[in-house]
Amino acid sequence: MTCQELRARADAYARGELDPADAAAFEAHLESCSACEAALSASDGPLPDVAGLSRSIEPAADLWPAIRERVAARRGRSAWIAPPRWALAAAAVLLIALSSGVTAVLLTSREPRAMATGNISALEAQYSAVSEDLTGALEQARSRLSPETMATIERNLRIIDAALDETRQALARDPANPALGQMVVAAWRQKVDLLRRATALGTET
Amino acid sequence: MRLHRCLPALLLVAPLAAQQKIERRIAIAPDASIRIHNLVGSIRIIGWDRDSIAVTGSVPPGAGSFYMGGAGRGAKLGIERQDEVKQGQPATLEVRVPRNARLWVKSASATVEASGLTGELECSSVDGSIRVEGSLRLVIAESMEGNINVAGAMSVARLKGGGGTITLRGARGDVLATTVGGAIVATDGAITRAHLETVSGTIAYDGTVSPRGTLDVATHSGDVTLRLPPDISAEFDLGSFDGSILYGLSGKGEGKGKSEEALKPFRGKPISFSTGAGEARIIVRSFKGEIRILKP
Repeated sequence: MTCQELRARADAYARGELDPADAAAFEAHLESCSACEAALSASDGPLPDVAGLSRSIEPAADLWPAIRERVAARRGRSAWIAPPRWALAAAAVLLIALSSGVTAVLLTSREPRAMATGNISALEAQYSAVSEDLTGALEQARSRLSPETMATIERNLRIIDAALDETRQALARDPANPALGQMVVAAWRQKVDLLRRATALGTET
Repeated sequence: MRLHRCLPALLLVAPLAAQQKIERRIAIAPDASIRIHNLVGSIRIIGWDRDSIAVTGSVPPGAGSFYMGGAGRGAKLGIERQDEVKQGQPATLEVRVPRNARLWVKSASATVEASGLTGELECSSVDGSIRVEGSLRLVIAESMEGNINVAGAMSVARLKGGGGTITLRGARGDVLATTVGGAIVATDGAITRAHLETVSGTIAYDGTVSPRGTLDVATHSGDVTLRLPPDISAEFDLGSFDGSILYGLSGKGEGKGKSEEALKPFRGKPISFSTGAGEARIIVRSFKGEIRILKP
């Protein structure tokens, strides 16, 4: 599998749509190619078929669990074992891209649309799961990062967490406000992206 | 007595003598992929019209050892250290590469400067500053705490900071810039598509937006100031949940401050309106920051 093919198939992999041979080739390439890992990690734009997302805004409820289960199954391990960093990075990027796609659909739509509370909850659950896994990966990488770097990361995380708390409280008071829903998702996206970058600092070669 | 007089000079000469001077050159393809690694010190990259990489620099004692290898379509070079911490003796590298090369650069606290490039650059740092000038196809720059400064018309720029400031000058194509607490400042912009986002930093954009282009700005608590041409043809979509919105493009008053109008969003629900034919799209969202749309 070439680098170009891998990047074009990233979202299909996440959804389990690749056949076993292609999925194995995808994993083998990603594990050996730091350029692809970096490209997946750096990409923030919607993946090619995100443009085709339904305007009914139904974010996939099983994105990250599906990736985690699939990786664990392929490696013959139970799902709770920490997934490899490339899978975490890929999942973070896919989640960000998909939620960005959802937000983009909302923002570019000429008709006012509400982001349903249920959809926000589903996105929050996914972000929370990815965030938890990335926090675990960051803890593993802590010994390879200087105390100053960890302090910087933690300071930035505190700023994001404060913003997340504030917007969540506002959303709880006004659950039908789509602008607040977008802000909650944006804060989660910032948090997951920061955790992904922080984890990469401790593991990139 | 003689030894006593010479001691300061000896102390000065000893470390200088141990400093490793670098001067290496290898042939490479004009669009080669090149990895450059120097955690502490500085990395200066200059694009040139030759099919080769030329490296000069210095490595003080304790800063690690220089390595370089590759040929044809790929090469890597840098300073190998025993530990991956960002403190330590600074090594300096000046690297000349083919303009159209694809570069991957890693720093921790080292400053990175790149100029004269037209290819692709991906650069990550912890708290070192990153400065890029030129017209590259793709720039990806990430620094957790350092400033990121990009000047020139990049086709695609993906810039991610933390506490440092992101500065864009003359941005044209597709730009994504995000920080946590750092400011985002863009001057002389004429973007096709931009997403500028920060949590608590401020955002200032001075320039225009292409017809059919999109400028999408978001903050949590930082203030947003957009300075746009008064005759811009755009559809505006402005929302601040708990901050004020000041719009100063359409008033008839003369002089700064006289033509500005305070818009009052209801519970953060966005206010939408068009100017001209509404060709470009300008979206601003803030939780509690002030939004100001002003003339240049």
